[in-house]
Amino acid sequence: MTIKNIMIKLENISKIYSPDIKALYKVNLHIKPGEFVSIVGQSGTGKTTLVKLLIGEEKPSQGKIVVGGWDITDIGQAEIPVLRRQIGVVFQDFKLLHRKTLFENVCFALQVCGEPPSKINSIVPQVLKIVGLENKMNRYPLEVSGGEQQRAVIARALVHRPKILLADEPTGNLDSINAEEIIEILQKINKFGTTIVLVTHNRDVVNKLRKRVITIDNGQIVGDQAVGKYIL
Amino acid sequence: MFLLSFLRVIKFSLQDLARNVWLSIITVVIIVLALLSVNILLMVKVLGSAAFNAVKEKVDVSLYLKSDAAEGQIMALKDKVSQLDSVREVAYISQQMAMDSFTAKHKDNPEILQALAELGNNPLSPSLVIKPKDIGNYDDLLVSLNKLDDQIIESRNFDDHKAMLDKINNITSKASEVGLIISAFFVLITILVVYNTVRVAIYTHKREIGIMKLVGASTWFIRAPYLISGIVYSLLGVALMIIILYPFLSFLQPYLAKFFYGFDINILAYYKHNFFMIFGLEFLAVTLVNFLASLVAVGKYSKV
Ligand SMILES: Nc1ncnc2c1ncn2[C@@H]1O[C@H](COP(=O)(O)OP(=O)(O)OP(=O)(O)O)[C@@H](O)[C@H]1O
Ligand SMILES: [Mg+2]
Repeated sequence: MTIKNIMIKLENISKIYSPDIKALYKVNLHIKPGEFVSIVGQSGTGKTTLVKLLIGEEKPSQGKIVVGGWDITDIGQAEIPVLRRQIGVVFQDFKLLHRKTLFENVCFALQVCGEPPSKINSIVPQVLKIVGLENKMNRYPLEVSGGEQQRAVIARALVHRPKILLADEPTGNLDSINAEEIIEILQKINKFGTTIVLVTHNRDVVNKLRKRVITIDNGQIVGDQAVGKYIL
Repeated sequence: MFLLSFLRVIKFSLQDLARNVWLSIITVVIIVLALLSVNILLMVKVLGSAAFNAVKEKVDVSLYLKSDAAEGQIMALKDKVSQLDSVREVAYISQQMAMDSFTAKHKDNPEILQALAELGNNPLSPSLVIKPKDIGNYDDLLVSLNKLDDQIIESRNFDDHKAMLDKINNITSKASEVGLIISAFFVLITILVVYNTVRVAIYTHKREIGIMKLVGASTWFIRAPYLISGIVYSLLGVALMIIILYPFLSFLQPYLAKFFYGFDINILAYYKHNFFMIFGLEFLAVTLVNFLASLVAVGKYSKV
């Protein structure tokens, strides 16, 4: 495989927080551009740790990580913002600012990265439209449903037009209907060419997706199926 | 683009001040107290050295000579005194000159002048007025003058100026010491308060900071608002200090003028004359202190 064909490459990755907490152990993983990969596994098996390694929030204890051809294994503090602008991240707890409208929340991500108003004004309505919030963008987070809040978070993750979208249990706090909508939006974003890594506990979601599923247990990959099912 | 970010940073910084308004007020008050103690210290120093210099200028020693001393003998003595190591200058005050300055001094007092006229002859002695080269060897000068043995010397008047100077120095240095301790205390408090204010500000913006990091805001963009807040605090502090200090000095000046009667001491003029020097330096110092305190707080509480 050439570098061009790999979006995310983990080589022998271990993350050892302390001698008795081996969150990840000798993990090898390749994800191609445009793939939609689900990562499943029981609680405490190292899924979130994997996400943190990919955005440079944690450093691997061993191994090598390459994202989009960029070796980020020993990434420096100053380069982390550059990496984060190439990777959109969505977490389970919707991190929105309650004093700002959904529109302002999405703007905030561009403002703090020094983008000019012209660019902000053209991008923000686009991403809000992708997640279907164009009619509710002037509401405050507490005035919309959990699903809508999570959609705003997804919109915010898209503002830099990332090559990769990491979603760590984006449906964790949502009921099944809202969860399904979120997954549909992720699929739509995937169709535009963005690589999606979805960490989830939701059996129905995984089975319905009919995409690649990687199963992690005890810090190691124990399953990797092209059209997977939730096996645990 | 840089300017845009800079403006946004300023905006965030001001929002941060407004959001923690009470904390901001306390911080500024503490800075003002610190500045006040520093300024009082400065005033003590200025007044002390002004008083010292004024007295120093007046320090001289007189050798009174016999009225019948011949001009030649007096000149010989003057030369001899001039050659002493500790002497800066010697002035000869003749009998007539002493008389002139006496009458000038008492020109408003006809009774004294009347008495003088009744005496008929000039009762004043001619004298040599000697200024020491430097206050430090005033004692040497007295020793040398005491050793002088010339029959035309009538009396020696060695007023104890030295004791007075020592007293002024003593008071000034004691007051400065106390001032320094108080100032150091307030500076320390300022550091702690600014540090804590920035820490709380960061804490109240935890969510924002987390989001900023997640979406790829640069480290300086995340940290700059808190550093700017430190600068804004010192600006406000110094501005408030100026506003408070001038009326205070205007109020104080008449009392000082009365107390230091006869000396040319004007603290208000001193402050006006050195405005930029004093407040510029104070602003720089406070900003530096705040900046360092903020930097430590930011480094500690907003890890990437
Ligand atoms: N900062 C940390 N320091 C020490 N141990 C940690 C740290 N973060 C995570 N761990 C440990 O590493 C292991 C993996 O944690 P991780 O969060 O990756 O699990 P997870 O698969 O995301 O679990 P869940 O499904 O519950 O979110 C756990 O045992 C956890 O306690
Ligand atoms: Mg997790």
